[in-house]
Amino acid sequence: MTVAIALLAVSCFFLWVRKAQWAWTLVMAALIIGIVIFITDVDFSANLGIQL
Amino acid sequence: MKGATISPEVERVLNFIGMMAMVGVLLGAYVYQFLYRELPCTLCLLQRVAMMAIAIGAAMNLRLGPDPRHYGVCLVSAALGAAVSIRQTMLHINPYFDTRAGKPTLEATTNPPFGQALVGLDLYVWGVILFGTVILCVGIVQLFRGAARTDGREPEWLSRLAAVGVGVLFFVVAFGTLTTFLECGFGDCPNDGGWDWWMFR
Repeated sequence: MTVAIALLAVSCFFLWVRKAQWAWTLVMAALIIGIVIFITDVDFSANLGIQL
Repeated sequence: MKGATISPEVERVLNFIGMMAMVGVLLGAYVYQFLYRELPCTLCLLQRVAMMAIAIGAAMNLRLGPDPRHYGVCLVSAALGAAVSIRQTMLHINPYFDTRAGKPTLEATTNPPFGQALVGLDLYVWGVILFGTVILCVGIVQLFRGAARTDGREPEWLSRLAAVGVGVLFFVVAFGTLTTFLECGFGDCPNDGGWDWWMFR
């Protein structure tokens, strides 16, 4: 989680001081890390087995 | 539809308002965190990540000029945030999931809400409303967008406003990085809503 938010901070910093056009790539990298954390947190094998 | 378009300046001011709204929500979350001494859970932090990413999408519109790619960042982030907040809401509604044990149960149970409520709604329910509103607002702005300006000129006041706003956003996100590191380190984040910082164990 720390890495995802750190990527957002770096993206925001370069957007602020350099008007970096590539800032969106770091945001997308942070979101991909977030999606991986989210999917891992769901724990499909434990949850869906009973809920379905 | 030439008559019903908004100018790039108005569009950037709208993005500034949206960005500062996200900054306000993030600061409110930190006030709740420290006031009630409750660390955010994994799903809560993921919603903060989505809010920060939405704010950065708006910041890109401010600093670099309105662009479909920047709105795409906002939409993808809002979609992730909505998925996370809907799941967290469902976990607390579902009687066959014990949120205290963090696993499903065969006997119906009543789950206490996570964290403090705001105006009668839990923060993750506000999250569903917030992310839905972002998707709606981006859609409405897209309906009335005019052609992008190509001469590169922009009013001085707007340029200064953008620099100050993005600077404020950077400090909020940097503060978020620090508190998340202190809470979770580089591993999993605690999900019990206590005050157990990883750094101070």
